[in-house]
Amino acid sequence: MKIKYLLDEEEIPKKWYNVAADMPTPLKPPLNPGTLKPLTAQDMEAIFPKALIQQEMSTERWIDIPEEVREILKLWRPTPLYRAASLEKALKTPAKIYYKYEGVSPAGSHKPNTAIPQAYYNMKEGIERLATETGAGQWGSALSLATCLFGLQCTVYMVRSSFDSKPYRKSAMRVWGAECLSSPSDRTNFGRQIREKMPDTPGSLGIAISEAVEDAASHDNTNYSLGSVLNHVLLHQTIEGQELKKQFDMTEDYPDVMFGCCGGGSNFPGMVFPFIPDKLKDKKDLRMVACEPTACPTLTEGLFAYDYGDTAGMAPVIMMYTLGHDFIPPGIHAGGLRYHGDAPLLSNLVHDGLIEATALQQTEVFEAATLFARTEGIIPAPESAHAIKPAIDEALNCRKTGEEKVIFISLSGHGHFDLSSYDAYNDGKLVDYVYPAELVKQSLAKLPKP
Amino acid sequence: MAAGKGRIGFLVNPIAGMGGPVGLKGTDGLAEEAIAMGARPRAMERARACLDLLSKERDAILFFTASGSMGESCLEECGLDYKVVYSALPVTSSRDTIRTCQAFLDEGVDLILFCGGDGTARDVAGIAGSTPILAIPAGVKMHSGVFAASPQAAADLVIRFLNGELNLRDTEIVDVDEELYRAGILQTKLYALAKTPYLPVLVAERKRIYSSDQEDEFKDQIALFASEFMRDGSAYIIGAGTTTSRIADILGLEKTLLGVDVVKDGRLMITDASEQDLLELLDRETRVMIIISPIGAQGFILGRGNQQLSAEVIRRVGIDKLIIISTPHKLAEIPYLLVDTGDEDLDESLAGKRQVVTGYRIAQMKDTLAASRL
Repeated sequence: MKIKYLLDEEEIPKKWYNVAADMPTPLKPPLNPGTLKPLTAQDMEAIFPKALIQQEMSTERWIDIPEEVREILKLWRPTPLYRAASLEKALKTPAKIYYKYEGVSPAGSHKPNTAIPQAYYNMKEGIERLATETGAGQWGSALSLATCLFGLQCTVYMVRSSFDSKPYRKSAMRVWGAECLSSPSDRTNFGRQIREKMPDTPGSLGIAISEAVEDAASHDNTNYSLGSVLNHVLLHQTIEGQELKKQFDMTEDYPDVMFGCCGGGSNFPGMVFPFIPDKLKDKKDLRMVACEPTACPTLTEGLFAYDYGDTAGMAPVIMMYTLGHDFIPPGIHAGGLRYHGDAPLLSNLVHDGLIEATALQQTEVFEAATLFARTEGIIPAPESAHAIKPAIDEALNCRKTGEEKVIFISLSGHGHFDLSSYDAYNDGKLVDYVYPAELVKQSLAKLPKP
Repeated sequence: MAAGKGRIGFLVNPIAGMGGPVGLKGTDGLAEEAIAMGARPRAMERARACLDLLSKERDAILFFTASGSMGESCLEECGLDYKVVYSALPVTSSRDTIRTCQAFLDEGVDLILFCGGDGTARDVAGIAGSTPILAIPAGVKMHSGVFAASPQAAADLVIRFLNGELNLRDTEIVDVDEELYRAGILQTKLYALAKTPYLPVLVAERKRIYSSDQEDEFKDQIALFASEFMRDGSAYIIGAGTTTSRIADILGLEKTLLGVDVVKDGRLMITDASEQDLLELLDRETRVMIIISPIGAQGFILGRGNQQLSAEVIRRVGIDKLIIISTPHKLAEIPYLLVDTGDEDLDESLAGKRQVVTGYRIAQMKDTLAASRL
């Protein structure tokens, strides 16, 4: 049996696919958080380069990938598609399971797919430094790598609890020349305010975003960079799904169902968006399932509504699935999936019924990840493992029905920096958080209107 | 079982636990009042549930006991070998308990097995010295560390103890400090130390009251969330404890710490409700929910300290209308939630994974077991 499906470097896509061109329902415009009027390009220029703002607002179907960006992507792209033969055998399933592994990037995840072009466009427009936030450290590592390759400086505001618990993430950022600060820091007004009010706070992604945005807005040579949610981030990630389509052609199979983990949205949309036209135009019977934690079940339990992108209410107000910008998800081990909202492009497609979502508890996720590691060898990131659990369930169901379904797992990264979380699982110390959706609905039903 | 019969002192406080269903904070000195309020004796029933299981080891155990309702009648009904070492008066008191235990010590018993609550435990431990004691839970308040998780678990512990499978450990005999309680502070006071046979889980941990700042923050988060979902027009039956009483604080209401109160639309409808009050409430109200919190490190959500929430009340409210709340720290120290409503079918239907609210819009899943299954 053939295990690995590899593409040549020349087959790295030359264009990004913009799903906005094919959406049945157009996106509602993002709003300025101050005026609540539609956001203008000028509103964004304080913190983003013009090229990225154009991409953010574009409805062109195909957008060229600069050659300089493709050259760097060659370091690890195209990424391999694997047939999970050992896992299939362990599950005794007639189903065929495939996974595309993004953990082969230098930073260990899919995040450099957008970090590289973001650093590139900022460099081209004369920006000298990028400021960003990171929760679990995946995005901070990716942007540190990207800025290093384009000769930019990088300041990463890392959520204090992760800064303390994942020391090797910040070591990696340091090797790539970035400055990694524990957030709240004393570098920004917002950070100093929080430190004074709550000296012992573990920090949050919301606080770190606010610090990075303030840093970028208050320095002319500095821009802000975000690793998920925004349209241009999802655009850059479509390089994954385009490769995957070519690789599926090599297998002579076509997926019946695709699973990918979803926090704010980057890897999952990047993998599945290029398949949307197949579903719309060719009426392919393909299920695409976003996998999220029960602790932060934005797509499965959230409201489809306009909400702030950050906790402080400084980021644009966007139409998305949201649990409310004041919701701070509990400290689960898949730190990368702790976001109250979801990408507007993805939210729209879920709302239109083209994409599904499911929510998983962390114990069952780690159990699935362990089976995966013991059969396929790769230790998945806890985030990525959210896609493995439902794929295993689907394959086990095929054992009952005898169906030879083609099941796809988007394996977004490795878990080498998350081994303490695996220890917690093996020591029986994981807590299964859930979102009390019924009680929240009950509480929102009679909320006093502002 | 080892050669020679195990010698067990067996004692029942026949009035223990009667105050619970009628909303009293204990039954000591209040037995007549409890009976007048419609309370039924439950200690004998729970003692028999334990003895039934011990009867399969009848050849290996010799019981020493007090006359009549203090032990003799239960042993007789279960067909066990016993010797009466103390004659109790028709109306029993704590003096009878103490004298019976003295007689047990004179007989050189291996273990004192008694059926009651914290009040009975104080009396027994006060005299037992180094003789191990173990309790069949039947009281209103059971905060001490000598209580087995259920009558069935008590029987299992006795058998294992006589087989030499268990170690002894020191445990605290505590009771709610009534003076502080009247001042509005729920705090247990240490009265004595006792030896008890120990197998983790089968003996309920001594109840703990946490008071760190972090606990307070989580209680505030839970209470804020509760105050939001309680705006739906339902009547809320709120159980005992410091976590539940924080909800009343946030709503600006005076809650009884050890009692069960009813709140609707932000107003206190019933204070310190009895089982009867709750049943009458259920006649009037169509939408009723219950908010309860596990008791300290023991993990009981029903059947300890809130007997007003009887099996009938729970059934009429509906088991899907039970909202469990707990701070994460407290929940982490509990292996699982326990229910002991006295109705085994109901306990079974309450068992399984249940959602526990642990913060603002945050919950955890926790296994729930029927105490009789332990």
